[in-house]
Amino acid sequence: MTTVRLKGGRVIDPTHGVDDVVRDVCIRDGRIVELAPNEAVTTEIDASGCVVMAGGIDMHSHIGGGKVNLARMLLPEDHRARGNPYALPENRLELASCGTCAPGTLATGYRYVEMGYTAAFEPAMVSANARHAHMEMGDVPILDHGAYVMLGNDELFLQMLAEGRDFQQIRDYMGWTIHASKAMGVKVVNPAGISAFKFNQRKLDVDEKHVHWQVTPRQVVNTLARALGELGVPHPLHIHGSNLGVAGNIESTLETISALDGLPGHLTHIQFHAYGTEGPKKFSSAAVRLAEAVNANQNISIDIGQIMFGQTVTASGDTMRQHANSGIGTPRKWIGADIECDAGCGVVPFRYREQSYVNALQWSLGLEIFLLVDDPWRVVLTTDHPNGGPFTSYPHLIRLLMDRSFRDEQVAKLHPDIAANSALRSITRELSLYEIAVLTRAGPARLLGLRDRGHLGAGAAADIAVYRDAADREAMFTTPEYVFKDGTLVSRAGRIVAVPTGGTHFVEPDYDRGIEKTLRKHLAAHGSVNFDHLTISHDELCSCCNGGRLLPTECFEGATT
Amino acid sequence: MSASVSTATSGSGSDTAWTCPFCPLLCDSFQVAIPADQAALALRGSDCPRAGRALQRFSGAPSVASAQIDGKSCDLDSAVAAAAQVLATSRQPLFGGLGTDVAGARALYRLACETGAICDAAQGDALMHGLRALQDRGQFTSTFAELRTRADLIVCLGGSPAVQHPEFFRRCGVGEDLVGARHIVLVGAAAGDDVPATLAKLNGARGVTAEAIDLHGDLFDTAAMLAALVANHAVSAAPAALVALARRLHAAQYAVVVWQNPELPAHGALLVETVNHIVGLLNRSTRAAGFPLGGGNGAATVNQVFSWLSGLPLRSRVGPTGIEHEPLCFDARRLLADGAADALLWLSSFNADALPSADLPRVVIGHPDLMQHLSASGAGHRTVFIPVSTPGIGSSGHLFRADGVVLMPLDAVYADTLPTAASVIWRLTTAVAALKQGAAA
Repeated sequence: MTTVRLKGGRVIDPTHGVDDVVRDVCIRDGRIVELAPNEAVTTEIDASGCVVMAGGIDMHSHIGGGKVNLARMLLPEDHRARGNPYALPENRLELASCGTCAPGTLATGYRYVEMGYTAAFEPAMVSANARHAHMEMGDVPILDHGAYVMLGNDELFLQMLAEGRDFQQIRDYMGWTIHASKAMGVKVVNPAGISAFKFNQRKLDVDEKHVHWQVTPRQVVNTLARALGELGVPHPLHIHGSNLGVAGNIESTLETISALDGLPGHLTHIQFHAYGTEGPKKFSSAAVRLAEAVNANQNISIDIGQIMFGQTVTASGDTMRQHANSGIGTPRKWIGADIECDAGCGVVPFRYREQSYVNALQWSLGLEIFLLVDDPWRVVLTTDHPNGGPFTSYPHLIRLLMDRSFRDEQVAKLHPDIAANSALRSITRELSLYEIAVLTRAGPARLLGLRDRGHLGAGAAADIAVYRDAADREAMFTTPEYVFKDGTLVSRAGRIVAVPTGGTHFVEPDYDRGIEKTLRKHLAAHGSVNFDHLTISHDELCSCCNGGRLLPTECFEGATT
Repeated sequence: MSASVSTATSGSGSDTAWTCPFCPLLCDSFQVAIPADQAALALRGSDCPRAGRALQRFSGAPSVASAQIDGKSCDLDSAVAAAAQVLATSRQPLFGGLGTDVAGARALYRLACETGAICDAAQGDALMHGLRALQDRGQFTSTFAELRTRADLIVCLGGSPAVQHPEFFRRCGVGEDLVGARHIVLVGAAAGDDVPATLAKLNGARGVTAEAIDLHGDLFDTAAMLAALVANHAVSAAPAALVALARRLHAAQYAVVVWQNPELPAHGALLVETVNHIVGLLNRSTRAAGFPLGGGNGAATVNQVFSWLSGLPLRSRVGPTGIEHEPLCFDARRLLADGAADALLWLSSFNADALPSADLPRVVIGHPDLMQHLSASGAGHRTVFIPVSTPGIGSSGHLFRADGVVLMPLDAVYADTLPTAASVIWRLTTAVAALKQGAAA
């Protein structure tokens, strides 16, 4: 039996309200345990001078699936940006894998773990592409993973809604989709808008009708959120709202919040949905209005989708908005697809520039939202990797949030109008280590319903990051001293030292299997895959994911049936 | 991970839907009949000649073929050891064919890392037509369910795709009533197509009208002129049929332009780029998409897997100084012709087509019938042959469909005696690593 004692670290464990308490953290058989101070251990590690947190959890990061792979194929130059050929890893434990904004799955795993992250969730799994997504995630080494399946643009859902079908049927259809695709949650992207684009509609406001099905995004959001609640899925509906990137879209965002009728909802990459129409360019920050709405509505959680300056690529299911934005991409090329009467995708490269008024404003307002929302438990730190910037920029982002003088230095480099007028200049708040721990591990674990992750209590999985405390928070969060995954030391001072296979998180909600008869009939008439081949079994999931552990998350009780 | 051999799905194969791995459509609503004797497997529910021909290579009983070293039978261990020796002593191996599934590709990437091999698919040129156009300008594509339910105009550049993909029009929903009026245009004639017969068949389908348009010059000229017409540029002496086609494309609710990468001539990427351009022009005001066919026999699947693992698609190598992607230089045929590789690993699990003639040591992993080609070239060099199971016949697996979205699961028709390519490659990788470590020590 292997036991490890991390001795004398400054423990930050927000799930248990522990804030900077010097104590030991002990590991046995992959779990955190309480040991008496004098109990012998196999390995003792001196953690004095270090901050000990649970492993980071990225609950919104495009790490695997069709559009991510298209982004890789689209941008060979991304892989040449750091030299051509891209240098081989010096570490024999790593296989060659390259890329910055669209890295290979192998590089994705290595780079996340080196930063102290131990789980990441693909937020936009297309049901028709679910096997592919699980295959890619299975090839992300070390990290645990899971995915939210996209619904709300599939023609069957819209048809059921349009025909006023029994709500239970819609709920059971959602339950079956989660079951078949082995998803951790459900995401809606531009509610009804991806489908509307297939019918040549170019814009869809929250109360505007889909030109073919005559349903509104408000109906879609409300129905999906209600059904998820009844299915008992812990993660609230993950919402990429209407009108992404459009000036004035704060109105759509507030309408989407009202469409939830108080039901839980997670508004993702909210930075892209918080724009006003004020000022000389008719494009302004609506961070204050957004933050007020989040503060006032306890049912709402958000992640930011902070943009970071430099080259990246945006990979989204939102064909409607990506088509609209394709003309301003850099380099000027893009990929789109209409997918299986189910979803869509759009991949547009972007280079965010400090001297661009729009980009500088986006950067500024993302940080404003971070700093204006009162409750850190309802805010998650993301760049919507790679859409706002690659996940490797998280340490820089953390420093921006924790260090006001550093932040002000960066503001001064922006487009002069933003540098002069940004609301950031008047915000004095600096996030604490405790708040960062909430934003990057405890909060996302709670929002996903992961009871044994994101904290350091006895019984939790021993996913642990140990950071050497340093005034330069960027340096501190770039290279933790130690990272443990399920009790195994996987990274030591920025070097991968073990490469275990990560596990797959998913939920298995109860639903009435009678719905399968309806689905079989519909898909035989409209689909392209035999119904018997749609569901991913546990055995198949296991082989997709390279034999990694299956990690079913409990649903709430008393939901359906 | 090795693809596990699933139990035979049915004693006679009569009722269980089978996924056909032999063309990129991956049809999954037909059945396979398993004869009691040594006769070949037979397709039920479709008269697809392509699937029928492919099934001829398999009988109802699993193959008993054994591995060979230089034409002499041997056990698997000896073959793996000999193959490892070939690869470990090679200064520049070439991995060709790449006829395998996801599990095989996952294993192959590790072997490619271990050996520094250049990797190119059997139809690498066809794969690069699409990839190079995508890398230059991007693309907008569709999938089968979209075609089936919404495409009111299907334009087949280069003629009917059904010659190579016999079930194509059925998969597009031609003859069903999901789309009230569907028009199909064949631009040019596919090799081997009886165009009048094809048109008669299509025109006889419910709700379908079909026409054929002659090329104006070659395929490149025709596509370029169509693009100009779609862009509303003034084009002098444009043939009336192309003018009408451009109008139809603008008027359609959902036009899909279909082409076949393997059938394109040299510099096909230019043609793909033109099609992508036409689709982009149309999407400014109406809805349209492209639909490329190709990537069969594992090519698209290995391309996807290598892309996600390494970050770079095929025609790449993990070379001594880093990861390189060279869509032109890393052409297997050219490398063989130039003598730029000193060992060939040929992988072909789905067919027994001839491998390229090559005067170098070879490791051949694939269908048992590949054996018949091995004496044709490479005399005087070591040749190691390892017969492996075909995913979808003797083992389970996964392949990407032509649209690149759906990753289809393949079930075994029977439990094979042959190992999977993935398991052989894993063993080979371990053996090569051991030899290299020994050499370094």
